[in-house]
Amino acid sequence: MPTDDVIDPGAIAMPQIEAKGFSFTYSGSSNPSIRDLDLEIERGEFVLLTGPSGCGKTTLCRCLNGLIPNFFAGHWEGEFRVCGIDIAKAKTYELAKLVGHVFQNPENQLFSLSVEREIALGPENLGLPRDEIRERVEWAMEIVGISDLRGLAPYELSGGQQQKVAIASVLAMRPEILVLDEPTSFLDPKSAKAILETIARLNEELDMTVILVEHRLDLAARLVDRVLVMNEGELALDGGPREIFGKAAHLMGVGLPKVTLLFQMLREDGLDVGIPIMVEEASAILRELLN
Amino acid sequence: MSLSFLEGLKFAKMDTPLHRADPRAKFLMALSFFASSLIFANALALLALLALQIPLLAIGRISRRWLKSLRGGAFLAILIFLMNFLTGQGASFSIAMSIRFVCLLSSFSIFFLTTSPDDLGLALERCRIPYTISFIFTTAVRLVPTMALDAQEIIDAQRSRGLELERGRFLRRVRNYIPILVPLIVCAIRRSLEMAEALESRAFGASERRTSLVTLKMGPWDYILVALSIALLASSIHISRSIQMPSLEALDRIFGLGWRIA
Repeated sequence: MPTDDVIDPGAIAMPQIEAKGFSFTYSGSSNPSIRDLDLEIERGEFVLLTGPSGCGKTTLCRCLNGLIPNFFAGHWEGEFRVCGIDIAKAKTYELAKLVGHVFQNPENQLFSLSVEREIALGPENLGLPRDEIRERVEWAMEIVGISDLRGLAPYELSGGQQQKVAIASVLAMRPEILVLDEPTSFLDPKSAKAILETIARLNEELDMTVILVEHRLDLAARLVDRVLVMNEGELALDGGPREIFGKAAHLMGVGLPKVTLLFQMLREDGLDVGIPIMVEEASAILRELLN
Repeated sequence: MSLSFLEGLKFAKMDTPLHRADPRAKFLMALSFFASSLIFANALALLALLALQIPLLAIGRISRRWLKSLRGGAFLAILIFLMNFLTGQGASFSIAMSIRFVCLLSSFSIFFLTTSPDDLGLALERCRIPYTISFIFTTAVRLVPTMALDAQEIIDAQRSRGLELERGRFLRRVRNYIPILVPLIVCAIRRSLEMAEALESRAFGASERRTSLVTLKMGPWDYILVALSIALLASSIHISRSIQMPSLEALDRIFGLGWRIA
């Protein structure tokens, strides 16, 4: 990873992502999309960001790689630092090297007619030497498991494969943080599962910080370390998945894992046997009860 | 309305000698056909030019989609004939003009059907055109089929709500397309914003000196293609200046007779 060259003693203690009293209002809008956000995320965390539509998830993602306030105009207050860089002062491409951003619709983020050239696009833009680009492309394809697709065109691939190409193409920039804004919403359940597992593997093997926006909590809940729930621009809940799903998160339009919902209902009816977040846990609890 | 004529511009990945050829050489060939068709105003000569392109279709295995693009241009070809003929240009000349149009369309149809937008971008960059501009150009080429799909979807959606496109006189019909155009434009703007966001996230414009993974190299076949293209243009110029082409004046007389009888 590129930042380890110079070790700044102050930077070690600093969280990788840090917001202090940050608010942002898109120009032309009267309500802030993010209100008074205080947030710290450490290197290597796997964070699930969820909440009802229009709650500010996408806006937060756009802050992370400096699209806000560079690309989207608006009014902001407070401070937002990513890897120690103030997003208000950085250029988007500087942050693009540190923060990889994967979007919802694979079609609108793939520009080339071969997987290889697509993955090379980011490093090409950085003006890296050709040998290094080749090396990075190979590495990114390898780690996402798409080396066999190299010569194909994105439109020849399935949605899940396209999204893998999108992930590989941001990995080729060797980012420290991976932000994925609803990467599975155009995919069928099977490909969605494969994508989420790939992401979890990146988090584990590369110690990459992952911020995942996701509505499929059934699949994601078991993978993450921490859950952030946003509501109307505010950070409403922040904690471990068990802690958050045990609370009344579903009242805010968060689609809880179905087993969690079931055991919450059981608790309301007087049967308090804990709140599982995975099917396996639930079946273990039930088996014990029935014996 | 069918948008199938756009198929004629859509590149499909294939592995033929023509697809592998250097885009610069292919562009020169297209230009040479283009210029030659403008040199001749004789129906037979233009037909010969069109016939010369047929081996290319076979080599590139694109005959079916080439035909589709020509079918898309058929309406315009007929219009060109009528406009010329009705303004008293004579049948042979009018036919020649229609064939010339088909020739022009065909030369660029072959180019676009066998050149991937990626290669096109590389070629433009090689010609020292700034990356931003070559990117705009190649993205536009790539978006044509996507936009056609969007348009078809919107047409289907509006029709299922009772929009009748084929109804009314000419002006009414034009107006019928407003409920198609407005969402199509909104769609295009939204798509381009999303693409711009994704590009920003890929460090677009980060470095003045952009490297590229793949580079173009002219091979022996490419030089042969260049030589053939130059030969074609040179002989077209020579023939048009020195040889009197047999014309189709007989046609004029037949048409003139028919005209008088009518």
